[in-house]
Amino acid sequence: MILFLRFAVMRAAMALITLLTVSFIVFSLMALVPANCAERYLAYKTTQGEQITIADIRAEERRLGLDKPYVERWVRWVGNVFLEGDFGESCILRVRVSQLVGDKFLLSLGICAAALIFAYAIALPVGIFSATASSPVLNNVLRLVSYLGLALPNFLLALIIMLISTLVFGDSMTGLFSREMRDAPWSWDKAMDFLSRAWLPVFILGWSATAFAMQSVRALVSDEYGKLYVMAARARGIHGARLLWRYPARHALGPIINSLGFDLNRVFNQLPIVAVILVLTESGALLLEALARSNDQQLAGAIIFLLTGSIVALNFLTDILLALADPRVRRSVMGG
Amino acid sequence: MAAPLPETPLLSVQDLSIRFRTDEGLITAVDGVSFDIAPGEVLGLVGESGSGKSVTAKALMRLNPGNTVYAPESRIVLHDEGRAIDVLALKRARDMMVVRGGRVSMIFQEPMASFAPALTIGQQMVEQLVLHTDMTKRQARAHAIDMLARVGISDPAARIDQYAFEFSGGMRQRAMIAMALSTRPRLLIADEPTTALDVTIQAQVLDLMRGLVAEYGMAILFITHDLGVIAQMADRVAVMYLGRVAETGAVRKVIRTPAHPYTAGLLNALPNVNDPDAPLTPVAGDIPSPLDRPTGCVFHTRCPRMIPGTCDAAVPSAHVVAPGHVAACFALAGVPA
Repeated sequence: MILFLRFAVMRAAMALITLLTVSFIVFSLMALVPANCAERYLAYKTTQGEQITIADIRAEERRLGLDKPYVERWVRWVGNVFLEGDFGESCILRVRVSQLVGDKFLLSLGICAAALIFAYAIALPVGIFSATASSPVLNNVLRLVSYLGLALPNFLLALIIMLISTLVFGDSMTGLFSREMRDAPWSWDKAMDFLSRAWLPVFILGWSATAFAMQSVRALVSDEYGKLYVMAARARGIHGARLLWRYPARHALGPIINSLGFDLNRVFNQLPIVAVILVLTESGALLLEALARSNDQQLAGAIIFLLTGSIVALNFLTDILLALADPRVRRSVMGG
Repeated sequence: MAAPLPETPLLSVQDLSIRFRTDEGLITAVDGVSFDIAPGEVLGLVGESGSGKSVTAKALMRLNPGNTVYAPESRIVLHDEGRAIDVLALKRARDMMVVRGGRVSMIFQEPMASFAPALTIGQQMVEQLVLHTDMTKRQARAHAIDMLARVGISDPAARIDQYAFEFSGGMRQRAMIAMALSTRPRLLIADEPTTALDVTIQAQVLDLMRGLVAEYGMAILFITHDLGVIAQMADRVAVMYLGRVAETGAVRKVIRTPAHPYTAGLLNALPNVNDPDAPLTPVAGDIPSPLDRPTGCVFHTRCPRMIPGTCDAAVPSAHVVAPGHVAACFALAGVPA
């Protein structure tokens, strides 16, 4: 047990170091963007008709601490993020980033997690079943479905569903809330309203994730299925569902757990495009907005850091899960 | 063509022909093989890779893959306490349990690969016992520990909770034997059980098997390509080539006076420890592809005694060369069996 704790603490420390490295890279990228926050904000002010002088810019830089050395600014940024969850102010909008991102990031994470759960809820049983099914018709149908999932771009699927929905229901199903509920405070009705709409992005993101996961589950299980220990188990009279779940399916679990971290990343990368089409107010869309339109480096940096943080955290979790699932890993970290 | 047996055989294989359905068409793996195994007898099945010996063994437990076709006249009958079980007629996996770990057990060539890596040795042993006997989990565990002790694994009560990767090669095969024997089968199929082991370990495992066979009174079908191992282990031997039985007989008879040219060739190919300078004489030529089976006697393409016009035209039938010693060859002057 103590050895396992040590293993977990070691992994957590490694995750922390990874996060610090990431934060440094993100911070450097933010600094590499031409013009700093003070210049950008005041440039924005001039477009609003105000007269700006160099002295104003210097004063603003001092106020934001931009005159301090680079490393000191990074340490301060990282310190605020880790200790207080404070990402500073948005360059352009002049509100706290945490306020801007807030539940939007949780919402995005929730949509991605739901898409992944949706994907594996389908991919695990279907993938395992198709790995063992000998019917060529069934196999080809499944193959066709998963190729469709891999080949059909998410945005196209989103557009098709919107089109059909508009024609049939007269509502394009865009946005995460209906018009009446958009600005209402959180309530039971609003939550229900959210759920009645959130399934669409979850479905669209889950669609290709399902196809991907199904292919890998199928490949992993059929690989295990051909191994000698499965035949040996069959030679001991084990058969049916017990054979399938306890032998090939159980032993394909490790690599599947391993791939979860990558899957989350892939789904999150696809989210902004889907979000733009469905007019979702979530953090992927916000990131796109911050990066492409307003050039808001504080905001973009915060979102990228949060995203990387989630992936590092998930990888930490899968490391622990893997150690629990595979006795070879478990013995090597916990001793005899 | 089997030797006359004093009592009902434990297992009787008649005219076993096995083909595999593939994209290239039907491939013949086993062609008209017949043999009997008496209770408590050790029958060695010898042949090169591709001779069909493993496919034959797997047929006894119905372990061949889904594209396997058994010829309609093929029969595998297991006699168990007055019952005659027609193995090839078993339909459901539940009914096959009697030949899968019940009255018949199998041990494989690769002891490491035949244990599931993420289950402990004990979990796998207990699972089998609970499935085949009316033992409770607790009783099954006690019995499994007892079996591990019998095959010479020290500290079995602790070892039972370990995984296969924590065992050494020899220990894994001992554990495999313990698992196979735990349900007290009447027949043990051993498919090259010592081929993957070091020579010294191999001798220990063979000793162990010999002792346990005597103790449990069960029969063994011992599959190997190693005639030296057969000489130590088996009572009788059947030599297979390209899916057919070339020669059957008592081990000493067959090794001292081989009747079939293929058996003679195999014996000549063995290195001689007493005369290391003696040149090795391999059987000439390569084993033909199963996609391109020779006509007539399947061995005629490599046979030094091949009779043109006969051996490549007709299939030789079995000849009795001595009581209990049978070979299928045109070059023999024997009595048709």
